[in-house]
Amino acid sequence: MHEKAPSGQQQFSPDDLKERIAQWLGPERVPKRLNVITDTSDFYRVDYDDVVILGDRPYLIRNNEREGRFGIDDQQKYWVKRARDLSDGSVKIIKFVFREQFEAHVGGIVFDCYRSPQKEARILDLTRDHPRFMHGFSICDESKNVIRILKFIKGKTLADSVLLLGTTHEDYFYNQLPHVLDEFIDLVQAIQFLHNSKEKHGDIRRDHIIKDAETGLARWIDFDFNYLHKENMFGYDLFGLGNILVYLIGRGDVTVQKLQQESSPAMNQITSNDVNIIFNNRVVNLRKVYPYIPETLNIILLHFSAGANIYYETTEQLLHDLLEAREDLNHV
Amino acid sequence: MNTNVQRNRNILIAVDESDNAKRAVSYVKDLLAGLQGFHITITTIIPQPPEDYFLTQEGKDAWIDDHAKTARRTLEDYRQIFMQAGFREEDVASHLVMKECFSLAECILDEQKRLSCGTVVIGRRGLSRKEEFMFGSTSNKILHTAKDCSVWVIG
Repeated sequence: MHEKAPSGQQQFSPDDLKERIAQWLGPERVPKRLNVITDTSDFYRVDYDDVVILGDRPYLIRNNEREGRFGIDDQQKYWVKRARDLSDGSVKIIKFVFREQFEAHVGGIVFDCYRSPQKEARILDLTRDHPRFMHGFSICDESKNVIRILKFIKGKTLADSVLLLGTTHEDYFYNQLPHVLDEFIDLVQAIQFLHNSKEKHGDIRRDHIIKDAETGLARWIDFDFNYLHKENMFGYDLFGLGNILVYLIGRGDVTVQKLQQESSPAMNQITSNDVNIIFNNRVVNLRKVYPYIPETLNIILLHFSAGANIYYETTEQLLHDLLEAREDLNHV
Repeated sequence: MNTNVQRNRNILIAVDESDNAKRAVSYVKDLLAGLQGFHITITTIIPQPPEDYFLTQEGKDAWIDDHAKTARRTLEDYRQIFMQAGFREEDVASHLVMKECFSLAECILDEQKRLSCGTVVIGRRGLSRKEEFMFGSTSNKILHTAKDCSVWVIG
């Protein structure tokens, strides 16, 4: 699966590399001294303006990528760098090997998680022709670290782009949600494709879907997370899909606090059964807030509520209901 | 004795180190003590994490060793419960399976088929709704998917 890297340092002379940097970034960007790296084991030592050679291609390292998580915005990911491919000038994301095992705590539930470069490499291979996933390939560096080289996707997260749609929620619901739901159905089908191949996404959340500015398609990113599943291998992935669906239908998080602040009349009807089974401050019974949401769509949301007696166990079940609800939206 | 009866009396008890597993063992012991013609297999299935979970080969070896030791100890404790209740040595077997399981319930039912057991006994873990929602319930899955065998869920 992984391509093997030929010895890089002999392939490119410093002058050759400098010439390429000048070609793609301009002469003023050529560093005075070039640090060429072929072993990325210590990724903390891979810095801005270094050249990493992987396979037969040199990459000029730019900044660390950042990610907002657990309320901390712009957390730097030192093992994920933006880079310029000095063979064709394209922007790439390079993920070095960072392995960790940790306990995740979600809504009081504790489970074992880990980061696996191999898993991400497998999924990149599996989804190489699938338009709903980020694309890239894996390659081993000199020390056999499994490096992933990803095509950079320019665009906002799906979550952010949804917030800009519609003047009011009602306007959004009638004029935008059908398209958004079509997009979401495609994304769930993409996850079904993974599940059918016995692979989890592992970290399904709304900022892991990027709306590709070039193609207009929403695409899944970041596949290196994994969790040790219990009975249902895909339960945590389905939980993630549910959270995103609720967000998309609500055009953002509809929290108990927000409804209270707005003195929403819905507050009189919301009970403890109407909130997310894990995140108890998020309302999922959105029909109580937005009564024009049809029953068929709302029932899907209730599968993720504290009052649920039945849960989705497969993407197939979720898709079945989604397609039915989508059909109903044509008649509202 | 007809084959069906023999098969039904071939009982698989799926256990781990939990109290509910111990309750399942005690239940079968109390129910069948003194009766002839039953064969009991006490099985522990340890779902082994995928290869890429382990940071090193040593880590993997230690994980396997640690889990196998604990499971073997537990299996022997449970076997002794039957011995002390007067079951014959040849009527009570125990064994350990360690493998990657997409679903523990499916792995248990694979063992049931492999050993031609007509009865599967499991303890109910008493998962919270949140846990069941997020990760599923093995006893529920067995109840819903078992074919050609009886399932006893001990609460």
